[in-house]
Amino acid sequence: MKVKFKIRRCDPIRTGRCEPYLQAYTVEVTEGMTVLEALIEIAAGEDPTLAFRKSCRSAICGSCAMTINGFPKLSCNTQVLPEWRKRGEMLIEPLRNHPVLKDLIVDQTPFWKKMDKVTPYLTPKDEGPAEKCYLISRQEARMIDRSQKCIMCGCCNAACNSLDIDSNFIAPAASAKAWRFVGDVREGQLRKRLERLSDEHGVWDCVRCIHCTQYCPKDVAPLEAIERLRSRAMAEGVMENEGAIHVSALVDSVKRVGRLDEAAMTFKTLGFLRSLGMIPFGLKMEIHGKMPHPIIFPAIEGIDEVKKIYEVVEKRAKKRRKKKKRG
Amino acid sequence: MAELNYAYYPGCASQAITKESNETTRRVSELLDIGLHDMPRANCCGAGLITDYSYELSLALNARIFAQAEAMGMDIMTICSTCLMVMNTANRDLKNDPALLKEINKIIGDVGLKYSGGVNIKQLLWVLAEDYGLERLKKKIKKPINWLKVAPFYGCHSLRPSDALGFDDPEKPWSLEATISALGGEVVEYGGKTKCCGFQVDLVAEDTAVEMTGTRLLDAKANGADCMVTPCPFCHINLDNYQGMAEKKLSQKISMPVFHLSQLVGLALGLDADQLGLGRHLVSPEGILKGT
Repeated sequence: MKVKFKIRRCDPIRTGRCEPYLQAYTVEVTEGMTVLEALIEIAAGEDPTLAFRKSCRSAICGSCAMTINGFPKLSCNTQVLPEWRKRGEMLIEPLRNHPVLKDLIVDQTPFWKKMDKVTPYLTPKDEGPAEKCYLISRQEARMIDRSQKCIMCGCCNAACNSLDIDSNFIAPAASAKAWRFVGDVREGQLRKRLERLSDEHGVWDCVRCIHCTQYCPKDVAPLEAIERLRSRAMAEGVMENEGAIHVSALVDSVKRVGRLDEAAMTFKTLGFLRSLGMIPFGLKMEIHGKMPHPIIFPAIEGIDEVKKIYEVVEKRAKKRRKKKKRG
Repeated sequence: MAELNYAYYPGCASQAITKESNETTRRVSELLDIGLHDMPRANCCGAGLITDYSYELSLALNARIFAQAEAMGMDIMTICSTCLMVMNTANRDLKNDPALLKEINKIIGDVGLKYSGGVNIKQLLWVLAEDYGLERLKKKIKKPINWLKVAPFYGCHSLRPSDALGFDDPEKPWSLEATISALGGEVVEYGGKTKCCGFQVDLVAEDTAVEMTGTRLLDAKANGADCMVTPCPFCHINLDNYQGMAEKKLSQKISMPVFHLSQLVGLALGLDADQLGLGRHLVSPEGILKGT
């Protein structure tokens, strides 16, 4: 079957500017053929100037990530015909949120810079027991299992909605890598790492759009890593940032009344001074009947059950911490 | 008793800041004879934020909600995409891991509750598009919204993570477009329809949130939309309430009215502006309703 590929190309190295244009190629596609195989065929025959990265062809090296019909995928494990049947076209573009070097090849420098920022190696407390190496339980290893599966392909960063707006955002790939070490029981610089990760443009700036987890080809689930980093930061008492304050305001609100008390949460998150700045907006909301009542906020029926659940969960967490200390 | 019955979970936002969404959903459900059964004991799902604090607490609080619906013998219907995502994610994990379900049952067992994994969580959009059926909806329409060009805005949590939600396709979603068409409206295609409104960082990284909201609004506008529709109250807060801030930040006039899904359905069912609670919007839809 003949399939038309539209490929977004540009050559900033030669021309000095990135002026993307679409070029169409027709490829004879057979069942099971991957997008990468189709690109190789184009480059081998019709157009040897078409540039793209590839290496292992088995979804292990992470080189061939690109935007396929609008979403980041590895071209080596995406088959042409299912995509074609579903979407009715084959639009191939370079990864988003990355500068383009040529055609489908992107500059990975910003990606690696973010990786460097999270100190992507273990900084252990000590050398471990002299007579034997560190023993890690299966459960402890499982905590960081998913983060270890990352192949650095960049799909998550390409899909990240926060990174699209704020290029300084730490972004999902480096966050997952950060959890790889924060979640490692041998790590010695926990607090320092969590403080840095909680800085501006850090893990609290994630908008939870869930694109990273949806489009990771290796099931790394970067959002889960971000959630674990946030939990760990709060557990370690790294609270000097609006993200953690915001979360603890909701945790308190649900414990107190069983639901989200918007006025109290805004006030707690922003603090007194910044809340004053919200007054004009608040007045506009008040005119439209949108201001939640700042004082009276009735609790749900059965709030005692909710309080009891908090108590039980807190007790269990305490018990686990004690056990860990003893261990 | 109605033919379709749900344990109704409007979510926190729709009981306060966006209560027009809850009120309209009740009116629309009555007109369509969809039975909504209140859950006055239901707690907040945690909006993902409690997951940031403690996943165990998040699971236990959600299991408490599920146990109530299970006792009512009904699936849950929500009108909040974030509740939908949080509850379905918790439900996925509890259903896939019997040991985890047992542990969480130990916690809620302390308050006399038990969840056995038998509840499904849906949102109004899914109920209309699948359980009720759009052909049936078409027959109920009194005033087709055929003068409106509507940009669908799903909101992240209506589409992802797809393995937990199990409805629609995040790469080629259909349910919101099909609903707009069934109501008689013209669907406006644009790149931002499956992207994020920025709500989760409104108070944490306001610059990012406001710029993201503005980008989505301008995207819909550039593609010719008269208005937008969203199934999510949090998206509505950003797209409507934060629109003024977005205009300032991006130095562009936007003036894009944004409807809750229930309001667009209600409009086609013949409800008036008061019944739809349109006066509660910061961006007035008055100008585009003149055709009614």
